[in-house]
Amino acid sequence: MATNELWTPERIPDPFAGVAKLLFDWIPLLLLVLGWEVVSGRAVSESVLPPPTAVAAATVDLFATGEVVPHLAVSLLRVGVGLSLSIVVGVLLGIGMSQSEAVENFFDVFLSLIYPLPKTALVPLALLWLGIGTKTAVLIVFLACLLPIVMNANNAAENVDRNLIRSARMMGTSDRRLFWKVVIPATIPEILTGIRQAIPFAFISLISAELIASEQGMGRLIRDAGSLGRYPAMFATIVIISAVAYTAVYGFEQVRERVLVWT
Amino acid sequence: MDVDVRSLGASSIVDSLKSIYSLVLLLVLWEAVTRMGLIYPYFLPQLSVVIHEFVVLVSTGQMIHAAYLTLMRAFVGLAGAAVAGVAVGILCARNALFEWFFDPLIKIGYPVPVISLVPVFMLWFGIGDVSKIIMVAVGTFWPIAVNARDATRQVEQNLIRSARMMGTGDRRLLWRVILPAASPGIFTGLQIATPIALIITFVFEMVAGGGGLGALEIAGVRGFNSAQTYAVIFAIIAIGLVLDRLLRAARTRLLDWT
Repeated sequence: MATNELWTPERIPDPFAGVAKLLFDWIPLLLLVLGWEVVSGRAVSESVLPPPTAVAAATVDLFATGEVVPHLAVSLLRVGVGLSLSIVVGVLLGIGMSQSEAVENFFDVFLSLIYPLPKTALVPLALLWLGIGTKTAVLIVFLACLLPIVMNANNAAENVDRNLIRSARMMGTSDRRLFWKVVIPATIPEILTGIRQAIPFAFISLISAELIASEQGMGRLIRDAGSLGRYPAMFATIVIISAVAYTAVYGFEQVRERVLVWT
Repeated sequence: MDVDVRSLGASSIVDSLKSIYSLVLLLVLWEAVTRMGLIYPYFLPQLSVVIHEFVVLVSTGQMIHAAYLTLMRAFVGLAGAAVAGVAVGILCARNALFEWFFDPLIKIGYPVPVISLVPVFMLWFGIGDVSKIIMVAVGTFWPIAVNARDATRQVEQNLIRSARMMGTGDRRLLWRVILPAASPGIFTGLQIATPIALIITFVFEMVAGGGGLGALEIAGVRGFNSAQTYAVIFAIIAIGLVLDRLLRAARTRLLDWT
């Protein structure tokens, strides 16, 4: 990198260097929050942009009164079920399409059609079929997550090292064992990549479905708080669901690194 | 996974038949089942009714106008995000102060499900075009900035050093060396951002109205005219396919020197 690092740690004694660097790295965020606090109530109305302290208080309140708990629970359930379904179906479909031409010929055209379609455009259709609520949200999350997982699994299964398969065959491995002990493990890294790509879409589609077609959930709570003029609560709900999404993304990355020690 | 109708030839006809027979089967089944009255028409109208609705919506200009509104909102927002995102991304990779300031913001801002901000933008900017365009710009800024930053960081140091050694100035270095060398990564960012722009526009239109394909689609559900919902989805699939092809074609044309 051509840029010279702003941070020059040599001057600080070792034990504190790590902590100091961490603090130094996060000063911009602190500045932003401070700026927000100063601007709110002065340059812009407090109702339009509640100060961070008010949002923090509202966040604590939402948990203390328990108001957010059922919404958060139902949202987590929806995103969890939708994503899990898409992992199971996506892996089966992706690997199935690589193993059998009939399966590929059957599903390929559908996947090509829904690939360029923004999945949230299907919310009204899901609403039509399944009504307002959990089923609609789960279906949309499932569809949004399915493609990245299918594509990565399919790609990986088509490119499993031929030598691995030949060696296993030579040692007399049966078809079934070959599938479970060779093909599946060889595709795991890319399946995990597919899941990693799917997680942000899972949250986008969850919130979209809940904004449009739900009586419950974080999306609905954001919308209700907004229309009732409870703006600190609206921002607090956004902060909470963003924290959940953030944890899911970075938590999954940690898990993936642990799982993939053998690659 | 690509349906490709190749140039004529017996084997390729058989191949393309093989790859679309399931779709034809589904469409025939759709028409047959609905004609026999096995499914309540509100859930699934006859395919021929949907096609008729599609033709009517297009010929009365409703569909065209809605598509124009949606695409205008998505692409004006995307254009704004492209300018800002590429600028911030390159600055982050080239300037230590910018990197220090924006890196933590990108790290925090990137994973936020932007769509959850729709009610906030309704509060701040109302439900009109401007609000939707700004929302699209904010939502697509992050992937564009991240990809521009990472692509610039990966520009080969030797390229920059050679250019410098020949006396290239800062401005020429940016336009003649860094931007071209980073352009594949920047283009990837735009390819990721385009569906996000459409997602934001559709959802905003469904939640807040104001015309556009999202509003037309949800109006079909609310007005018990489900053929309209299906017809709009057909249009959205067509638009998605065309956009995807255009982006791929643009990529090969613009970046074929890489």
